[in-house]
Amino acid sequence: MNTRLSTEVDIVCVGFGPATGGFLAELARRCTGGSRPPPFVICYERSDDIGFGVSGVVTPARAIKASFPGFDLAEIPMATPVRHEHVAYLLDPVGASRRSWAVRAADATIVRAMRWALPFQTEALQLPWTPSFLRKEGGVVLSIGQFMQWVAGQVTGSGQIQIWPSMPVASPLLDGDSVVGVRLIDQGTDRQGNPVEGFTPGMDIKAQLTVVGDGPIGTVGRQLDERFGLPEGHNRDDWAVGMKMVVELPSHCGLEAGTVLHTFGYPEPEIFGFLYVHPGGIASLGIFVPSTFDNPARTAYRYLQHWMRHPYLWRHLEGGRLRSWGAKSLLESGRRGEPHLVGDGFARIGEGSGSTNMLTGSGVDEAWATGVLLAEGVAELWEANRPFTRANLHEAYVQRRRASWVETEGRIAEKARGGFQKGFIRGLIGMGVAGLSGGRLSVRGRPAPPHRRLPTIEEYYRGRIPSSEIDRMREESLTNGIPLHESLMKRAGWPAIPLDGKLLMSHQDALLVGGKVQAPSGYADHVVFIDSAACEKCGTRICIDACSGQAIAAGPDGKVAFDREKCIHCGVCLWNCSQARPGDSERGNIEVKAGAGGLHSAEN
Amino acid sequence: MDTPFQIVVCAGLVPDPLQTLEPAAGPAGPVLKNEMMLPLVIDPWAAHALFEAAALAKRFPGSKVWLVSLAPRAKLQQVMMTVAQKAAFELVALDSPAGGFTESAEIAAEIAAAIERLPGIDKSRLLVFGGWESASRGTGTTLQTVGERLGIFEQFQGVDRLDMAPDGAFQVIERIEGGRHQASACSGLPAVFGWATGELPEPPNNPQIGMANMRTVMPALNRARPVKIANEGLSFARVTAPNQRRDTKIIKDMAPGQIAREIVDWIGPEQ
Amino acid sequence: METILFLAHTEADGSLCRAALESLGAARTLAAALPDCRLVAGLVGGDVRAAADAIAGCGAVRILGVSGAPFAVSRYFTDAEAATALGRASGASVVVAPATSRWNRALAGAAHRLGGRIDAHATAIGAADGSPAVTRWYYRQRLEAVVCRKLRPWFILLDPGCAQPWTGPSGAAAIESVEVAPSTASKTTVVGVRSPQADLQTIRPDAKLLFVAGAGWTKVQPDGKAHGRDAEELILNFLRRTKASLGSTKSLVDLSGEGQAILGFMTHMNQVGQTGSTPRHAKGLATCCHGEEPHTVGWRFVTERRAVNLNPNCGWAQGKADVLYVADAFAVMREVEALLGARARTP
Repeated sequence: MNTRLSTEVDIVCVGFGPATGGFLAELARRCTGGSRPPPFVICYERSDDIGFGVSGVVTPARAIKASFPGFDLAEIPMATPVRHEHVAYLLDPVGASRRSWAVRAADATIVRAMRWALPFQTEALQLPWTPSFLRKEGGVVLSIGQFMQWVAGQVTGSGQIQIWPSMPVASPLLDGDSVVGVRLIDQGTDRQGNPVEGFTPGMDIKAQLTVVGDGPIGTVGRQLDERFGLPEGHNRDDWAVGMKMVVELPSHCGLEAGTVLHTFGYPEPEIFGFLYVHPGGIASLGIFVPSTFDNPARTAYRYLQHWMRHPYLWRHLEGGRLRSWGAKSLLESGRRGEPHLVGDGFARIGEGSGSTNMLTGSGVDEAWATGVLLAEGVAELWEANRPFTRANLHEAYVQRRRASWVETEGRIAEKARGGFQKGFIRGLIGMGVAGLSGGRLSVRGRPAPPHRRLPTIEEYYRGRIPSSEIDRMREESLTNGIPLHESLMKRAGWPAIPLDGKLLMSHQDALLVGGKVQAPSGYADHVVFIDSAACEKCGTRICIDACSGQAIAAGPDGKVAFDREKCIHCGVCLWNCSQARPGDSERGNIEVKAGAGGLHSAEN
Repeated sequence: MDTPFQIVVCAGLVPDPLQTLEPAAGPAGPVLKNEMMLPLVIDPWAAHALFEAAALAKRFPGSKVWLVSLAPRAKLQQVMMTVAQKAAFELVALDSPAGGFTESAEIAAEIAAAIERLPGIDKSRLLVFGGWESASRGTGTTLQTVGERLGIFEQFQGVDRLDMAPDGAFQVIERIEGGRHQASACSGLPAVFGWATGELPEPPNNPQIGMANMRTVMPALNRARPVKIANEGLSFARVTAPNQRRDTKIIKDMAPGQIAREIVDWIGPEQ
Repeated sequence: METILFLAHTEADGSLCRAALESLGAARTLAAALPDCRLVAGLVGGDVRAAADAIAGCGAVRILGVSGAPFAVSRYFTDAEAATALGRASGASVVVAPATSRWNRALAGAAHRLGGRIDAHATAIGAADGSPAVTRWYYRQRLEAVVCRKLRPWFILLDPGCAQPWTGPSGAAAIESVEVAPSTASKTTVVGVRSPQADLQTIRPDAKLLFVAGAGWTKVQPDGKAHGRDAEELILNFLRRTKASLGSTKSLVDLSGEGQAILGFMTHMNQVGQTGSTPRHAKGLATCCHGEEPHTVGWRFVTERRAVNLNPNCGWAQGKADVLYVADAFAVMREVEALLGARARTP
């Protein structure tokens, strides 16, 4: 089949995450029994099955509960109401973290010296109260993967809404400045995208409205950003990688279902941790490593292991077993990273539209809410037979969004993280100040894109490791294939992780055992290094160390190689390239397109 | 309407192959731990049978493909989202918790009854396809029993290729011992085919096929008959996930030459 | 009181295959373990005389036979008829038969006609509470269960390599001939057996050694390049010299089918585990494969296991192998080839 096929639907959605879930759930509710037959809606989802490509855990679930009044969310596997919440500041029992002298001083003098007077236990200081902006009381601990599977079943029942996983969208279809639908990716190609046996060009799906809910690194959203630019003063340079495990807790663990723990301070001051307990002795736990953590040779996985080994957490986890594992990028720019929300023929929802609130550390409920708000507007326009123009969508959706809690809370959060660009304490203060003052006060900071901000390895380790030694480590890492960060971390004093093959395992084992990562053949590589000369001269090669799946490695002739079969589509490479794209000072040298495959776990 | 061939594909759902499985006690016998949370796929060999059915139907225009599946309804709905993009078929759904520990003979009875009920079914043009054994129960007996109940006594298992003539005569090869195939010729239908991998690659996802399929899939799911499998007379004395853990000797820093010598000694003389 | 029918078909030359003799051994053991149990033998083939004489001393109280040209071939229609007739004539409550491809095809039909049940791919037949108890795998050998049934007749197909074959004296057997005259004739004619070309024969279930190649052979090596040609040569030479059987992981087979000329001799037939086969070789050598669960699913019956992998923390290291050599498989296999080559040249 070699000719490109085309078909037409009323509404096409890109990505099936919480935002599109909210959109479809609300649309299904509103458009039944109207004067017009309901629209025919198709949603295309990249990952191999519903629930594989999403992650999220604890949520106040305000918007979600509003969509399903009377339904007990706890009926979904792994869900439970929030019962206990704690925030803990973790000290450094190992001595290798890069705490500034100020933080070390505070640790030694204030915290340790006064530990008898403070809620100090197992090398951690548990805050006596949970700051209001972090509180999730009344909320739900759930597995978004399981939740999305349930939502999919609900919304597809009528037949008017179809959801197709395993179908990545390559690009929006544009007619002038109007979006008229989407184009699906080609199938039956080699890794470079050239047709081979069984080649099928991606189908064109024309639609009156294209709903873009493809997440923070979604290619359709980013192509629209490229085309239309971001609103004045907005940028998308604040990111984090969230890496998470779903773990079977050991029998001796006394944590109750519904327990929510948040940590900060260890293994590095910038790294935030979380542990949420599901029913049945299962917990979701992990870390957020923000882009402000400017270590050019870092891997979230190793830090995740060190974090688990902190006594405050390890007392609960030792003897546990890994069930599921994954990682995703979070767009922490939030409101400041909001793109143009609507245009002729399209609307943006979810994390890719800047809805994630990094102050409260939540994104699922916000994303869902934006979907619901869009559906309210779309249902109105559909009933009245009005076209999906920018003006109409602005009135029907954007204004609703501006009047919602997503906007209000997003504005507070916008001010919050600015301080972190200038250091951890400033950041914490900034967060606390903004959070506690409802956004009225803030510490300002303006991030730079990674390729302008990241230091070289020599710069980062200046004073700790001589650059001659770093050169030697680089050589070794190239010849014997050991990742550079392993040698660097060891040299910086981080202890080896005692692997037990059950919970503490090698990165590759986590991919297979926890992520069941796969990639079907017949598709092009979705991570592309644009200018190979830039890669060849790049000394830092953060992409190799930062890749959540160890899918990026040094390749032949100084190039960088990508292994699709290990990629979990987290997108970290996108915002961790230390080289600018030729001719474009705003973007790095790595492009992440839509690709098939990835995690095969619906527990995340 | 005169349909050249009628191909009924029987397919169950099995856990996604990489999942870690553990047994658990269910109310009516053993089940998988967290069974409802495991990602499910259509049984791999049955999927090959479906692709072969689609290819055959394409070769003989006017032919019709049904997919008969006995599985939990909600799970079937979800699996359809991936399968329905691959091949055109009409779904016949039977709603039942089915898995590796459910009785093959009883499942076969339900499937055969569902096939008999298909409107316009013409045994002289009928091919019953399936996987030769499933990735759940793995007995390779369900299809034969379906055939028996339908009065079909020409049956082939481990099929890798089927060459069909327009009049219903065909040639077929089946896997036998030692990596070889047995070739047979048959003068007419009906017949049962339990497929191995066949020779076709997995078809690409086709949105048009998907959309067309979904128009009948959702109504079929809504109509799905709830079915109870009794597992009459069947009991399990013990179900375990054997953990063969050996005391692995890990040898590092040995030169390849030395390793090679050890391996060659271990292999022993040529047989 | 159970009547056990040992049910077997003959080979083309009239003999009984090893798997059949193993089932006979298992049937005898079972008969001895059950109270008041008698053993009957039933044979199907073109001419069952030789087979009957071979098992004349096995302790069966009757030896029944269905013979004739229609029963000389492996075919559902005639095999189901024959097996059903023998089941009826013997009054069997339990049928123990080898899980050959011929019987795997047909016996479920016979079980149905007799109103009974069937369990295939049994790996052990024991007795519990005066009844048989069958051990078999589920979910592609990830779970194992012991099954008990009340319904009769109960057909049990025993996988090859799971019991000791019966070796006893032959004699002059008294065969009771059982007539089978179906109302219609089969439409199926067996044309013949197709083997892959001799030099491409890489599947050798009776070999002592299974060599499993994983996807690592095709990946970029530490020098930054892929060495597909070298990999092919090393693997094929090794197989040629050792007459080992070749298995591969699913991912490698999928790669081989991707139109890339890597390891062109691999097909789905080589695949071990998942939708692949279950080898039972005495020794298994895994190379360039991670040893995680999907890769080892087919290894349950491989007795001695060694692996070569650059990753000292791979699955093989964690209890899946007896010995893990942390080394580059290319380098090791090159040395192995040198040693085997030298050995071949030495008189």
